[in-house]
Amino acid sequence: MTSERDNAAAVLRDNAEVAEALGRSYSAGFITEIESTGLPPGLDEETIRQLSAIKREPEWMTEWRLEAYRHWLTMPPPDWAKLKLDPIDYQALSYYSAPKQAPKSLDEVDPALLETYEKLGVPLHERAALAGVAVDAVFDSVSVGTTFRKQLADAGVLFCSMSEAIREYPELVRKYLGSVVPQGDNFFAALNSAVFSDGSFVFIPKGVRCPMELSTYFRINAQNTGQFERTLIVAEEGAYVSYLEGCTAPRRDENQLHAAVVELVALEKAQIKYSTVQNWYPGDENGIGGIYNFVTKRGDCRGDDSKISWTQVETGSAITWKYPSVVLRGDRSVGEFHSVALTHHFQQADTGTKMIHIGKDTKSKIVSKGISAGRSNNSYRGLVKVEKGAERARNYTQCDSLLIGKKCGAHTFPYMEVKNPGAIVEHEATTSKISDDQLFYCRSRGIGEEDAVSMIVDGFCKQVFRELPMEFAVEAKKLLEVSLEGAVG
Amino acid sequence: MSEPAVPFVASTLAAPLPPSGIGWLDEARRENLAAFADAGLPDTRVEAWKYTALRALAQRRFVQGDAQAATREVDAAALALPGLDGPRLVFVNGVFRGDLSDLANLPAGLTLQPLSQALAQDAEPLRFALSRRYRERGDAFARLNAAQAADGVVLRVAAGAKIATPVQLAFVGVAAEGELAWHARTVVELGEGAELALVERHVGSGVARQLGTLVADLVLRDDARLSHVLVQDAAPEAVLVHRHALQLGARAHVSLHALELGGSLVRHDLQAELAGDGARLDTRGVFVPRGRQHIDTQLAIRHQALDTASSSTWRGVADGRARGVFRGAIVVAPGADGADARLSNKNLLLSPNAEIDTKPELEIYADEVQAAHGATVGQLDERALFYLRSRGIPQAEARTLLTAAFCRAVLDDLPDAALREHLDGLLAVRLPA
Repeated sequence: MTSERDNAAAVLRDNAEVAEALGRSYSAGFITEIESTGLPPGLDEETIRQLSAIKREPEWMTEWRLEAYRHWLTMPPPDWAKLKLDPIDYQALSYYSAPKQAPKSLDEVDPALLETYEKLGVPLHERAALAGVAVDAVFDSVSVGTTFRKQLADAGVLFCSMSEAIREYPELVRKYLGSVVPQGDNFFAALNSAVFSDGSFVFIPKGVRCPMELSTYFRINAQNTGQFERTLIVAEEGAYVSYLEGCTAPRRDENQLHAAVVELVALEKAQIKYSTVQNWYPGDENGIGGIYNFVTKRGDCRGDDSKISWTQVETGSAITWKYPSVVLRGDRSVGEFHSVALTHHFQQADTGTKMIHIGKDTKSKIVSKGISAGRSNNSYRGLVKVEKGAERARNYTQCDSLLIGKKCGAHTFPYMEVKNPGAIVEHEATTSKISDDQLFYCRSRGIGEEDAVSMIVDGFCKQVFRELPMEFAVEAKKLLEVSLEGAVG
Repeated sequence: MSEPAVPFVASTLAAPLPPSGIGWLDEARRENLAAFADAGLPDTRVEAWKYTALRALAQRRFVQGDAQAATREVDAAALALPGLDGPRLVFVNGVFRGDLSDLANLPAGLTLQPLSQALAQDAEPLRFALSRRYRERGDAFARLNAAQAADGVVLRVAAGAKIATPVQLAFVGVAAEGELAWHARTVVELGEGAELALVERHVGSGVARQLGTLVADLVLRDDARLSHVLVQDAAPEAVLVHRHALQLGARAHVSLHALELGGSLVRHDLQAELAGDGARLDTRGVFVPRGRQHIDTQLAIRHQALDTASSSTWRGVADGRARGVFRGAIVVAPGADGADARLSNKNLLLSPNAEIDTKPELEIYADEVQAAHGATVGQLDERALFYLRSRGIPQAEARTLLTAAFCRAVLDDLPDAALREHLDGLLAVRLPA
């Protein structure tokens, strides 16, 4: 018991150090020098065949990708989000990059790469063991090493890279891949379906409670490489899993495209908790560079009494386009969305959620906290839809925005569509700035302005931070502080 | 357009534009018509029309203007409002009817005349309003109106004039041969410090399968005050697309009460620009679609100056197979410090086949701001129902009572008691028994 607590404390310290290290000028913006072998820039059916061949995928997977690609060609890029961005040249991107030597175990992993993780504080090896966290670290496009495979395997949990899953568990992948986010779901999901490089695959069999929190650190490396992760998590009847996703990316001056797809499937009485801390390179204070983060995340409460909960802390990326959603299909299923989105300098975020109530007695809760500083724009965009058969569906939505500075924008676009007279749907939103009274009070108690702001912001976000696993909660708080540096005064 | 002609657009374009003999006006009409022809009707992919599909309307053909409007039978008694006998302008199928109007003894400082007359006398003061080109993607009906509206209202209140009696505007839809489209244009201007109460009504009689469009511009100079009551009780078959664009100068105040009751397909755009420091806007409204009605209200408020305030309370009750759509968008522009913006939209969904779509929006670009909105969709409070029943009030009656109370919140602060009572009555008839 004691050692467990000590370990937890050690992790907290580690994470705090990590956040510390993310200091003022984004010190995580180092570039690891490893030789990359990748595909040349450009995208056509041949690229997809090559990509699929490199990954030694079966024929059906190649066809699946091609189908998605053909669909993608017919789709216009979405323009409805409140985002300003230049058209993206998809032919100028390279769709595959991988560390040159394919590692078979962690010992074979390029030391430079491990060093990267070291700097980021990814708890691999013993650190992972101490933390009780199994890590499937994705360095660019190929999974490097997966720890804790054995412990998980004993519990019957499958946790591996998507490439591996396609080879090892094709029947499971075929059954669930694209069943929540179909190939042609939207422009970026279609692109991802065509060219996805790798990602995580999690399968929790019936009745199993995953013995540890699963975690993946994604990291974008190699210049000009769009990274297209594909994550699939399936929880069978009565299963439970908590999954942590965290990201940082090295400093770049050219915008990098990131279009991930995450699919969650919860069968009867299953629960999936998915937490994200996203801290990709947001661009510098003049809005140069930064990641374009166009993500499709969707959970499907397929079985009765299932529950899917999304928690996200979004501080990074130049542009965020992301709406983690839950389809409440099963009766009495529950969907939750807790979000903190912070934008600074020239960052733009258009993020929110969708709760689609289909089953009876379904419940959803949305808590969104937006913080805008500098010249950034931060939008909440959400949909709560109650279908005809969703008797007694219940939704509660709360969206609060905090403005720091005169040149930023905070926006709220909630959509409510209700077709069942037994449903109750509620939405509340407020927008304000940090009040002078609050600041004055803090300062009169000898707290500096920046500290006061970060304290107030922390209080503003508390409702969401509470939902984060402990390891993330500390990091998240630190991240906000770091991200807000220079926002006041 | 290379696509096969949409009947609605084709039949509209077949009609000649009303001749005005005024160069700039003819040009504006031509250009707006060209824009309409070019873009046609918006589909639901256009955000402003997301919840209002015009597919069925697009398949219908309309005859532009009613040549017999001047002689159509109208029940004048039905137009009367209790306790109100001030100046009145009445239009039947978009055409001014002097015989039903009352323009005698206008109070000092009030100019009230049909648009056709004002244009004939001196068109220049109307040039700014009527030269407008509508460029938004969803502006199809405003373009059509700008091209085709030959008549309407010109209302001016001189600076400092306080008009005691409410001015009434009535737009009556009467059955005509075939499907008729009429268009009316209203221009209202309140000078500095002017005060006015305006009661605007859409009334329908008989089976009037028609389309009406109305575009109104209301400009309030500094310190002007307007109380605007809007009662839309169009004929059950009617399609009505109306738009009110308000502009408020410094310290100007508008208090607006809207009842959206009638029509088969009704779209109301209510746009307000708080352009002067200290301007204030209060809107209260209720929409009660039932049967197969579709009522779409789009409220857009823009805070542009210092210390502006807006408060909006809207209620919706949908029954039968009806659909109620509400959008309440508030924008606080950069530099509009001191803005206080509040919006609430509560809805009752009474039937398994009805639908409510609501979208409150906030777009905030200034930081010295208090902005909040709330929206709910639900049903009557079971406990309140139980309470009433425990006091011996039958279930059905208790429901009616509670529903009426839910709606009446929007009329509570209407100062004119007789009018409030009348509107209460109109509302009561509409509510599900």
